[in-house]
Amino acid sequence: MIHFSLQKKLHASEGILTLDVSCEIREGDFISLYGPSGAGKTSLLRMLAGLMQPDSGFIKMNDEIWFDSEKKIKVNPQQRLVGFVFQDYALFPNMNVEENISYASSKNDSKKNIDELLEITGLSGLRDKKIQTLSGGQQQRVALARAIARKPKLLLLDEPLSAIDNEMRGQLQNTLLTIHAQYKVTSIIVSHNINEIIKLTSKTIHIKNGRLVEYQFPAKIFCNKSEDPSSLKCVFLSSGKTGNDYHISVLAGNQVITINCNEEEAKDLRNGNEIEVSFKGAKVFLRKL
Amino acid sequence: MNKIFSVVAILLFIFPSVSIGQSQKVTVAVAANMQYAFKDLKNAFEKINNIQVDEVVGASGNLTRQITQGAPFDVFISADTKYPENLFQNHFAAEAPKVYTRGVLVLWTTKPGLIPGANLQFLLSGKIKSIAIANPKIAPYGTAAQAVLQKFNLLDKIKSKLVYGESISQTSQFIASQNADVGFTAKAIVLSNEMKNKGTWIELNHDDYPPILQAAVLLKYGIENNSSAAGKFYEFLFSAVAKDIYKKYGYLN
Amino acid sequence: MIETAPIWLTLKLAFLTTIILLFLSIPLAWWLSRTKSIFKTIAQVMVSLPLVLPPTVIGFYLLLAFSPANSFGKFLEQYFDIRLAFSFGGLLIGSVIYSLPFMVHPVLSGLSSLPPSLEEASYSLGKTKRQTLFKVLLPNIKPPLLTGIVLAFAHTIGEFGVVLMIGGNIPGRTNLASIAVYDEVEALNYYNANIYAVILVAISVIILFLLYFSNRKLQEVKIL
Repeated sequence: MIHFSLQKKLHASEGILTLDVSCEIREGDFISLYGPSGAGKTSLLRMLAGLMQPDSGFIKMNDEIWFDSEKKIKVNPQQRLVGFVFQDYALFPNMNVEENISYASSKNDSKKNIDELLEITGLSGLRDKKIQTLSGGQQQRVALARAIARKPKLLLLDEPLSAIDNEMRGQLQNTLLTIHAQYKVTSIIVSHNINEIIKLTSKTIHIKNGRLVEYQFPAKIFCNKSEDPSSLKCVFLSSGKTGNDYHISVLAGNQVITINCNEEEAKDLRNGNEIEVSFKGAKVFLRKL
Repeated sequence: MNKIFSVVAILLFIFPSVSIGQSQKVTVAVAANMQYAFKDLKNAFEKINNIQVDEVVGASGNLTRQITQGAPFDVFISADTKYPENLFQNHFAAEAPKVYTRGVLVLWTTKPGLIPGANLQFLLSGKIKSIAIANPKIAPYGTAAQAVLQKFNLLDKIKSKLVYGESISQTSQFIASQNADVGFTAKAIVLSNEMKNKGTWIELNHDDYPPILQAAVLLKYGIENNSSAAGKFYEFLFSAVAKDIYKKYGYLN
Repeated sequence: MIETAPIWLTLKLAFLTTIILLFLSIPLAWWLSRTKSIFKTIAQVMVSLPLVLPPTVIGFYLLLAFSPANSFGKFLEQYFDIRLAFSFGGLLIGSVIYSLPFMVHPVLSGLSSLPPSLEEASYSLGKTKRQTLFKVLLPNIKPPLLTGIVLAFAHTIGEFGVVLMIGGNIPGRTNLASIAVYDEVEALNYYNANIYAVILVAISVIILFLLYFSNRKLQEVKIL
């Protein structure tokens, strides 16, 4: 279990932001960290990793104290056994895939470990490649494999998939799930993507202006809060007419849906407007893919 | 009115030598070892004539090179005869160089407690680690020093201790700063106001080294651009007043 | 004909100076790139000073420092029987000071341009600062390192003012090629001077060629 309470004055462009977050995370959980830009998410992650020093507070990982401002304890990042996946991947350009991943391991670690990691991340065929020759998705997988090579106690992922296209993103999310299931490492991922959060994580730390707003199941945070349960919040894209049928196209999540509707209601809508579509009394058909 | 004023002002600015009622000027290139005696020469000359003297001090070789490249010097006072001869051969001098004095070599040290012995054997001692001489390739006092060492059969034995100054000035500076334990320099230097009371020196026998004949030459530049002032100064170098000054600084006449 | 000793001596000085500078500059540049100490600015000024100072000034102060009449020189002579003036060792010290900024600046520039996440990743993977410097940072600034090495080497070859002041022009010890050219010109031996000069130019051109050519090859390994 990781238990922390951290305070730090951060210098943002709008002024000073006081970060103050306390939380307890169960061992083996996969947690998300969510909030608007500049809320302090990356800083929080860096403090947990030991890359940034908090002004006050403590971090307890099981029986180890990683940081305690009162007792003046400060464990450096090298000794914390934390895996960190950076937003810019931070792969070492002077090494190939295998060298990047085995960088952390000592001579005692077996080659088997490395092979297993390459296998799980689908990189076995690329082990000799220089990282500059890899695609974004491949680089991300190397970063991931490298971060867990030492079987860390805590895995921190700072918006790892934000630069990846949607299709690859889905695959990488699956890889993350596989890794988490296999290695059972406590993980925290920073993400803006609600689908991703719901798909990967069991609990969400919601931060705003440096403070913890809620620590809750993602479904409860992001669910539809309107009074009418059978409605859909989406973004209006365009409208059109086929014969006598008037329809609109909307963007719900990352899917575009075309819905028949009343011309009157839609006539003032403009591209980009956020709208709520309610289904009352219509027949709904479901089909498993 | 303003336009005319600015034009005249600019012209006066660009052509300062168009002096109205100002005294004349002579530019003299002076070999390093003569720089102290030269101050007296300059003062004496300026008193007698209403001519300003500007000096450029340097190593003889350096000055010679500058002259061959068109440096605007009127007269060249060298520390030897080789460089003035060279200038004359290459048509940079108005007439053949004339010897104005003879240089005197001394052995000098500023190290406390060190006294140079006249037989020079002390140079062999382990306490003497560096002996400064001017580079014989380019400075006549260096050639003289080498000759003295050869005469005393010391040259080969102390060769590894020799330190070469690029000019007699640098050689003297090595000695004055104690970076060299002892060294050979010009008598004029140890008699100068700056170095008078520093350390101890002995004068070497004039017969132990070839005479350091110092020649001066009136330069073509001087004749062509400044003949009156240049000529006057050149003649002055051989006058009785000048000879007294040379004597004062230990030169031989 | 000319003696070749000055050429070898010059190359030897340049080579040794470069090696010493490598050992000095890497930790110094590393510290400068990461520190927030108040001494940082002072250190930067001191490192850049030889760029701005005339070499004769450097030589002049070194001569003063080396003189047995002054405390430092006296200390060296009394306790170690060392005289730095007119020695190859003294020239080495002078060269290291004179060429210091030429090594430090490129290396510092290289280290500063690496993304900080690179070394943070290394720390998070359990490597110490020193391991990170040698396994991650330095291998990724090969072009600036090479630039520093070549600049320091070439700059030392051209050293004149410092050598003139503290060298003493001793055959086999301190008579460098740059002084040899000067002396030949002084002695009006323009032919010999030309030979030295041509050799020095040729060496410099070869070095520069090597620099630019190697840089092109190294550019192929670019940082993400």
